[in-house]
Amino acid sequence: MRLEIKDVHKSFGEKKVLNGISFAADSGKAFGLLGRNGAGKTTTIRILMDVFPADSGEVMLDGQAIDHHKVGIGYLPEERGLYPKKKIIDQLVYFSELKGMKYADAVKAIDYWLERLGMTEHRNKRLDTLSKGNQQKIQLVTALAHDPQIVVLDEPFSGLDPVNAMLLKDVVREEIARGKIVLFSSHQMNYIEEFCDSIAILNSGHVVLSGDLHDIKRNYTRDKLILRSENAGQIQAELGASCTRNGEDELLIRLASPADKQRTMQMLTQKYDIDEIRVFEPSLNDIFVEYAGDQE
Amino acid sequence: MNQLGTIFKFELKGYLKNKVFVGVTVFLVALMAVVMFFPRVSGGFGGEEESSISGEDGQGTEQAEDRDGYPVMLVAGSEEGNLSPESMEMLRQAFSQAFMDYDVRIEEKKEEEIKEKILTEDAECAFVFDSLTSYTYYVGNLSMNDQNSYMANEVLESIFRMNAMMEKGIAQEEAQEILSSPITGETESLGKDQIQNFFYTYIMIFALYMVILLYGQMVATNVATEKSSRAMELLITSAKPASMMFGKVFASCFAGFFQLVAVFGSALLFYQMNASYWGGNDIIASIFAIPTELLVYMLVFFVLGFLIYAFLFGAVGSTASKLEDINTSVMPITLLFIVGFFVVMFSMTNGSVDNLLMKVCSFVPFTSPMAMFTRIAMSTVPFYEIAISIVILIGSVLGVGVLSARIYRVGVLLYGKPPKIGTMLRSVWKA
Repeated sequence: MRLEIKDVHKSFGEKKVLNGISFAADSGKAFGLLGRNGAGKTTTIRILMDVFPADSGEVMLDGQAIDHHKVGIGYLPEERGLYPKKKIIDQLVYFSELKGMKYADAVKAIDYWLERLGMTEHRNKRLDTLSKGNQQKIQLVTALAHDPQIVVLDEPFSGLDPVNAMLLKDVVREEIARGKIVLFSSHQMNYIEEFCDSIAILNSGHVVLSGDLHDIKRNYTRDKLILRSENAGQIQAELGASCTRNGEDELLIRLASPADKQRTMQMLTQKYDIDEIRVFEPSLNDIFVEYAGDQE
Repeated sequence: MNQLGTIFKFELKGYLKNKVFVGVTVFLVALMAVVMFFPRVSGGFGGEEESSISGEDGQGTEQAEDRDGYPVMLVAGSEEGNLSPESMEMLRQAFSQAFMDYDVRIEEKKEEEIKEKILTEDAECAFVFDSLTSYTYYVGNLSMNDQNSYMANEVLESIFRMNAMMEKGIAQEEAQEILSSPITGETESLGKDQIQNFFYTYIMIFALYMVILLYGQMVATNVATEKSSRAMELLITSAKPASMMFGKVFASCFAGFFQLVAVFGSALLFYQMNASYWGGNDIIASIFAIPTELLVYMLVFFVLGFLIYAFLFGAVGSTASKLEDINTSVMPITLLFIVGFFVVMFSMTNGSVDNLLMKVCSFVPFTSPMAMFTRIAMSTVPFYEIAISIVILIGSVLGVGVLSARIYRVGVLLYGKPPKIGTMLRSVWKA
């Protein structure tokens, strides 16, 4: 399956929120939707989920306009919250039924997921008796129980302890392995970097960068070197302005052109005792700051 | 459609499991039981009435002597007046018969002491006579519906007439006959009997008023709670706003209707069980003798009236992001409703249910459930007027329903200050 968002525009009153958003996500892979607060992520997700229509543009699944009656979408909203005063099993069944499941199927699926997330003992409790992290796991069930083809997870890791985060990672990996389209939205770049093969960065309603994360990184001009050595001080003195201290023994060396790479590396390794020298690849964090930092 | 059913079921279950809802229903049913069983437990109205009637006829005086627990009424001659002891005894007997609820005693003491007795609550009231046609009435607190002096006037008048006739040579029995000549008359209403219909119309209007305000508030709170707990974030992506709105409102309508049927049904049942003990009490009998035709109209106007307001309340609830905002947000709707309620109540108690204002109100969808029903119940309304009113109302319910679902869709995603009505409608129009 391939989910495509094509040139989607949306404005609320005078305010233009999306100015022609386009990106594509494939099944069996995770897709990261990034952007600063107010960049238009939630609006994009809501259009995808048919909460309101786009002013123009299309949401396509496998080349055809998406049919929300047939395609299941699971959603974990960033603003978490269910019915605090109601029994967990009751509300989980309710949400699954709203997604079109039969009662018996819903109960079966929910029991599976409660078991999977280690929440079976809380099945018949009221939601507000649970800790925040556990409530979050309950909410995750609402996103997964109806076995949707597309799973949208908005900040799924916020508020989870490391053990629960690990559990969630496993669950997400399983879902990806089962051939689902998983859409991530998060500000925690390390998770996106860990999971997502493709990303799109939104800035003020525009996609400023999108594509395969690996390619994006490869396409960065490879004109910087990372060097770690006990002689960092000496090296910095020799190279002068092109060199910045990155850490105790680490230097970032800016080259005049990518072609100088090999020569410089050779020169340095011959001259000094070097622990490590490699071509600098930007982290997702660096890329994000570069593309999304200048929000108007 | 499927979603609507799911939402309806979920919301209805929410009501039926709500402790307050169950508590109030049980309390009201119990209250009905207490009221309806009261005559049976307390010995029955009918029986008591009969004994008091026989008392008046035969051993009136004997009965009068035996009123120890009753409040004391004093009769006394004033210092200026010089009424004979015989006259005083005659007054005592006459008053004793007229005031069945009092222990009537002759008092020899002076006026000052009589006042003292009333202030210390040894006696409740006193009549001090200057002559057989003039008196002063002393009473502690003059209650709003104190009929004593009015009754005293009647008694004194008939004594005066009797004496006058006897002076003219008419025998006492004859005089008595003339004075108490029985008149029989019968009134037959060819339209509606407003007295008979008044009570159940009153009860229905009042029930409608209570239920709409109560459940309207509940619908608004329900929506706002979902919003403030952020369950809305998920709901809005799982279900169509129209299904949400209609499901909620239908569920609350059903719950409210269920409650009414439970309360009035049990009242009827308890009444049937105790009908004989009520001994033909006209008011109670008239309440339970609603014609079927009127019951059907009641149902129609109740459901439609409920729906139109519940939709409005739901829409308003969706624009509030905090529960505290609700009270101010629903104010205009509540006011609209209360104005309608007072127009109807005022016209009803005035007996002029067909005045111009009522006629207008019975076609305006927000007031017609109360106004038109009142007119049907208490006056004669041509059928085409009823039909027009119902058609307008149904159209408005649908219109308001669709509009409120649209407001809901826009409203639930807005957080922060509740929007102004104008801005809201504009964004609904565009959406």
